[in-house]
Formats: sequence, C-alpha cells, structure tokens
Amino acid sequence: MALSASVVAGLQRLLGPAGVVLTPEGRLTYESDMLTLYKAAPDAVVLPMTTNEVQAIVRLCREARVPIVPRGSGTGLIGGATAPHGGVMVSMTRMTQILEVDFPNRCATVQPGLINLWLTNAVRDRGWFFAPDPSSQMVSSIGGNVATNAGGPHCLKYGITTNHVLGLEIVTGTGDVVRVGGKASERAGYDLTGVLVGNEGTFGLVTAITVRLLHLPEAVKTALASFASVVEASEAVSAIIAAGIIPAALEMLDDAMIGAVNAAVGKVYPDGAGAVLLIELDGPRAEVEAQAERVAAICRERQALMVTVARDEAERALLWKGRKEAAGAVGRITAAYLLQDAVVPRSRLPQIMREMVAISKRHNLLFANVFHAGDGNLHPLICYDDRKPGELERAQQANEELLHACIALGGTVSGEHGIGMDKAKNLPLQYAEADLNFMYRLRRVFDPDGLMNPAKLLPSHPACGEGFRPSRPTLPAGTWV
Amino acid sequence: MALTTSAALADGLRAIVGAAHLREGGAPVDGVVPRWSAEPETIEQAALLVALAHDARLTVVPRGAGTALELGHPPARVDLVLETRRLGAVLEYQPEDLTVTVQAGCTAGALSAQLAARRQILPLDPPGWAGRSLGGIAATHASGPLRQRYGTMRDLLLGVRFAQADGVLTWGGAKVVKSVSGYDVPKLMVGALGTLGVLLELTLRLHPAPDHESTWLASFRTPAQVQECVAALLDSTVQPNRIELLNARVLTACGLPASATALAVSIGTIEPAVRAQEGLVKALVQRARGTVETMGASFWRTYDRALAGFEGVTLRIGTVPARLADTLASVQAVLPDTAMAGCAGLGALHALVGHAEAPALQAALDRLRERVDDVGGSVIVERAPRAVRERLDPWGPVPEPALAAMRAIKTEFDPRGVLNAGRFVGGL
Repeated sequence: MALSASVVAGLQRLLGPAGVVLTPEGRLTYESDMLTLYKAAPDAVVLPMTTNEVQAIVRLCREARVPIVPRGSGTGLIGGATAPHGGVMVSMTRMTQILEVDFPNRCATVQPGLINLWLTNAVRDRGWFFAPDPSSQMVSSIGGNVATNAGGPHCLKYGITTNHVLGLEIVTGTGDVVRVGGKASERAGYDLTGVLVGNEGTFGLVTAITVRLLHLPEAVKTALASFASVVEASEAVSAIIAAGIIPAALEMLDDAMIGAVNAAVGKVYPDGAGAVLLIELDGPRAEVEAQAERVAAICRERQALMVTVARDEAERALLWKGRKEAAGAVGRITAAYLLQDAVVPRSRLPQIMREMVAISKRHNLLFANVFHAGDGNLHPLICYDDRKPGELERAQQANEELLHACIALGGTVSGEHGIGMDKAKNLPLQYAEADLNFMYRLRRVFDPDGLMNPAKLLPSHPACGEGFRPSRPTLPAGTWV
Repeated sequence: MALTTSAALADGLRAIVGAAHLREGGAPVDGVVPRWSAEPETIEQAALLVALAHDARLTVVPRGAGTALELGHPPARVDLVLETRRLGAVLEYQPEDLTVTVQAGCTAGALSAQLAARRQILPLDPPGWAGRSLGGIAATHASGPLRQRYGTMRDLLLGVRFAQADGVLTWGGAKVVKSVSGYDVPKLMVGALGTLGVLLELTLRLHPAPDHESTWLASFRTPAQVQECVAALLDSTVQPNRIELLNARVLTACGLPASATALAVSIGTIEPAVRAQEGLVKALVQRARGTVETMGASFWRTYDRALAGFEGVTLRIGTVPARLADTLASVQAVLPDTAMAGCAGLGALHALVGHAEAPALQAALDRLRERVDDVGGSVIVERAPRAVRERLDPWGPVPEPALAAMRAIKTEFDPRGVLNAGRFVGGL
C-alpha cells in the first residue's frame, strides 16, 4: 500500500526532508530486524527527535489509517521491526538523549533510542549500572528493550527489563501522550507502566523511559565448570539453585558451541567437554567468595571434569568473551540457523536437554546451545543450510517440536526475545481462548484502530477478533436470570 | 422468564456453593452489610458466582482475610461478598524451581510455614502479613520492609488466574521465572483492588531464605541525618534486605527508647558476609552522626505487631529517598504526632495518623500531595473510617491522560460495574 501524497507531504512538513526516508534503497535497510525470515519494507521511514513529533506522526497516520511500526536499533529476533502491512516505520535512532540522571534517587530518564550500554557507561564512574544486559546491549536501544521486555544473562539475579522500569511516556494508538509511573515508589491506579513494558509497539510508541539504576557490586567472581554432557551440566544447575544460591548469571554452552567459540576466538573453553557452565557471582566480597567455593564444590560433586575460577579481570573477560561472541562464532559451523527462546522450569532442564538430543537426531540437524541455564531459558541454534532444499522446513519442524516439548513441561513460549511475527502462532499453545481474548481486548484499549505494529504479538485466531466472546461458565439449571 | 426476585437469586447462589456456604447478610464491608456472603470451595464455583452476579446485575466484593477493606472509596452497595476463605490451598510447590502456585485465599503465614521446611521464603511482609491473604496482598499492592531487597508483589507475581466480571476464568502470565509471552497481565491485576477480575490463583517467585541475618537499629537526632545515612547506604556496596524508618512514636510502640528517628537495617546472607558488612553499616551510621545498637532476632516480629496494632487513619506515602526528611517534616507540620514508618531506601512510607476529622485530613492530604507531585508520588488513604473517606478522595488525583486509559480499561473489562464498583481511583 503506497502512501498518499498528502501523507508524505505531511510527514515531510513535520520532520523536514532529512527526517523522512522514501527511496526504495533507503527503505530496504528497514525491511527486517535480525530475524531475516520476515522481510517487508515500510512505505516510509520517519526519524523524529521529540515527543511532539512522535505524537504528530501518530495523529497524521491515524487520520489516514496508515499502519505504524516502531523501530529501535533493529536488533530484535522476532520479526518485530518489520512492516508486513507497509505503512510508516518510526525509527528512534535520533532520540538518544539521557534526559536526567538522579543519583540520590537511583534512577535515570532516557529517550528510547539510547543504546543500552551507553547508560551504564554514563554512570559507571559514579559506581552505578543499568542491570538489563541483553547480549545485544552494545547496539540495542533501551526503547527496544522496553518494547520486548528484554532479558540477558544477568537477569537470573536482577530480573528482566520490567523490573527496572519505573515510568514511561508513551504516545498511544489514540494519539495521546500518556505519562505513567515515575521516580516515586508508589502511585495510585492501575500499574500501566507494568502493562506497557513488553507491548512490542502494539499499544503505542514509547518516547521516554525512567529506569532504576543499581549500585555496582563490591566483588564479582566468574567460574567455569566443564562436564561430560549437557545433562550432567543441567543437573549441576539444579543443584546450585537448590543450594539456595542465585548466581548473577548461570550460562551453559554445549560441545557444538564450545567448538565454534574456540575456533573463532581462540581456545577459551576446554576441548572435549560436552558442556561448560559459566557461573558468575556478584555482591559483597565475603558472600561472593564463600559462594564461589560452594558452587565449585557442587560442580565437582556433580562430576565436573574441571572447575576454574577466574583470578583477575583479564581472565574473567576471557571467559565471557566466548559467551558474548557465541552467536557470531556459530558462523563457523553453519550457514544459517533458527534461534529458539522457550523456557522450561529449571528443574526440567535435564529432561528437555535429553529431548533436544532426540529431536536433533530425528531431523538430522545440528543443535548448538548457548543459553541462560539458571532460569531455564533455552537458546538452541538450530543449524541448517539454506542452499539445500527442504532443510529450512526441517529446521522449522524441529523448532516447533522443541517448543511443544517445552510447553508440555510447563514452560513458556518466550523467555526474553518476545513474540513479534515469529511466535504469535505459538501463543495458543500456552493460552486458552479466554486468555488470548483478554489480551486482544487490552490491545484495543490502547489501539482502537488496529494500526500499531499490526500482525505482531497476537495470533490471527478467532479469539483475537472483533466480537468474539469466550464461553462463559454454565450456570446450574434454574438459575438463569 | 427472568428470575430476579431475591429468593430466586438466593436459590441460584445456593445451587452454586451449597446451602451451608451461602449466608444472607454476613460481615459488613466498610459498614455495609451485604445481601449475601458466599464461600466457594473451588475456583469454578467462584467463577459461577461472578457470572450469576453479572447477569443479575449484582455488585461483587471479593474478600480475603478482611484486613484491608477500608482501602478505597466506600462501596455504595454490596450485593455479594465472595469470600476466599475456602480457597486457601497451596496447589503446586516446586522448591527446585523456586516457584509456588496458591489459591488466593491462602495466607502469607500459612504459605511461609510450608516454605520454611525447604528454607525458602516469599518475601512479602506488609504489616500483619502472616494473617493476610495473598490475593488480598496482590489486590491492594501491600508491601513491607523486605521490598527494599526483593521488590513487591509486582516483582514476584509470575502468573494469575482470575474470574473476569462476566465470570470467564482467565489466566495471564506463566509458571516459570522468566516469560515475555504476550502482555504482562499479572501486572495489571496487582494493585487493581479486584476491579478487573476476582483473583483466584497466583503463581509466585520464591527466594532462598538467607542463612544468617543481623539487624541494627541506628538512632539519629534529626530527619536530615536519617536521610544522609540512607543516601550513604544506597551509595555503597552494602546489600541490606531492609532499610526501615521508624519515628519516635513507632519506636515507643515497639517498646524501644524513643530517639527522634531511627533506621532499622538488616542484612541477610551467609554469616561471614553479614559480619563483613556490619563494619561498613556501622561506619556509615556514625558518619551520619547516628548511634548503633544490635537488635535481637525477634525485632522484626515486634515491629510487625507494632505497625499492625495502630488503629485509625493510615496513609501510604510514595515518595523518593531524597525527600525523606522533607516528607517527615511535612507530615508533622500538617498531622502532628503521626507515627511514621516504612521503607526508607525506596521512599515507601506509612503514616499512622490515628484520629483525624475529614476536613483536617483533607487539608493535610492536599498539602502532602502537592509535596510529592513533582516526583510522581502519591498519598493514599490506606485506612480510615467510612465517614471520613466519604468526604475526601482516598486515592488522590491521577493525571487525566493516564486516568482516561485506566477508565477505558475498566470500561472494557467491567462495563456493568460488577467488581468493587466505584471503589478505585477516579471512582472506577
């Protein structure tokens, strides 16, 4: 659907020629996020700098009934920042200011386009940090983190994005600027801040975010333990949690991933291990040291082949280097991959890892694992060759089977990446019609015209359609009124 | 044929829960004797009660332990009280996953007793927590000293099952500790006072119980020194699980000598780490010109009993740590002799006012709300006699664009005003 001349002229009037991208080659850059299976360029890309401009864009599009798709850095993994219905993509890359840092009240207010790590960089000298740390934190925007309720390795201890967002300013699908939450600990009314985090742009465009800052811990200790197989490593994970220790991060890499990492960045992990656990503890020094010993002992009890504790910052950085570059390193072993993000209850890790081996064999596909074992958040990379006919379809089939297995164990469809276009179809695995319908109606409150990031987050299911009413409980005979 | 007579309705309600569990009347809610009180035994019965009430245009008030019924606008009409007393089961406790699913009527104390056997905790400790229902704590967003480290129900509620206003049983969230699958419906239900759904089941995140815990009471001569000490604690590597403020009246209620203002600071972790942080806590207190004394293990029980024992008007003040001294002074200026306590590190305070007449309280609320407005704070009347609350707004103003969104949500999910009608912000 091409934009009308009056919409184009209106956008240009609002933002100037430099603020509107209309050329085909310019728009092509914006056709997908990092999940390139879903590609659809918007009809125009706009680059606002202020909340007022964002509001004017939404009002103009709403009047012309043009879909609106928000975009941060485009590092999402779910087919979120893509425009299957065309329309206007609102890129937040020019809204990157830190509006306020308030150390006494432990918070900062930023614009949505600010890169996650830049905030920590701006406050680290004073002893503070912003806790959510998705692996993309060097390039992903805080607005994008809020849209997807992003996680990261250190969420195990610190919680995901929503636990760190105190307040928001959003332009909703009705074109209103709504400010919710704030610095103070309590506010009367529904927790709209909590409801808005993770809305994936389907309620509106976030234009300012107040986040909590945390004090840097006194000490950090990182340990590496290797195991003969992922099953034994998974059992060690359960044992650590059962011992009452919540590490800051508890990550697992399997043999395929260890091989890829070692080939790409040098030998950082022991060859020949079936799995390694990267365990990070942080907090007061005495606590961290005692817990590191306890964790090492638990790993040895669980038949670890080897346990090492980084002695200094350089060794620690090396242990993390492998983890952080894992997604890039996988290019050594495969041309293409699908990335799963489902979660199982953490006690079910050994079971799901066995199941995964079976699925991998059944489809004759390589699964490489690097994931947040501590909270049961799986991230298998299902490797396939996109030049071989039928292999993508096989990988997709294997991916679906794994997802079903996770749900059957009491898990969830997405732990930290979100739903987007990719997983909308999977939500009915986890939610009944009434549950989906509730979410659909909530969406309509904020976006009555259905223009905000359409085709994302909710499935095309009857329960997510106008006029659907979930079946009500049947009253006993004789009690009709 | 529409059976709308009282007798027919009673028959319908009785058919759902059984004659033994439906009463005409019942315990008053905020001074209003309900037409009926029902005690469902299953969530399906609860949903049927709501469905029948919806069709018959009755108003429903969910009731847990009944300890927080004076929160909000007084109800105009109470047709059916839905008691969660018989919905008190612990349904699924998964110690290895640090999660538990309970029915909403389960009290925090009953759950705590089960968790203790596995050295785990649900760190929610609003005043009188042991006797409060978890559904009630969720609906009222009640919190206590441990929120300093663990957050509130908002951070601990992973999944929730509720009956919508028309009786449709609905689930939101997940049963695992990390999930971003769909909208965060549990957040919408926390603090909503049951106005969007009757909470029936909660899945909660648990924490390991600390191996060892110590508490110190730091006494100060002025509120400014307290604030200085809180700032120093926050800007340090100490990881307290509580930084609780107590003014002189609360100290007295705890049976302690009344200094001007005190902070009770506790650290819970392994013993060597508690000892290692003790020195730093004491140094920071002394730098702020306070004096420190170590408290016994029973201190927090005493404190909880003291706070729960205050009667009369109670305010919940949401501010920021850098406004502590200002808030204490402002409250004393407009409501002299008020007992003050709360989580100093987050600026979440209780003002235990005692007796106050409506006009004086209204004037005080106006002043206090003005003082916290620029930090997005709030002053909520958590408890007051009905006669007082009838004459003022217990929630305070909510800015219009946000209130409009809240109104739209309420209208979408409860257009008939079945659930706690009129009691929430803006009369929702």
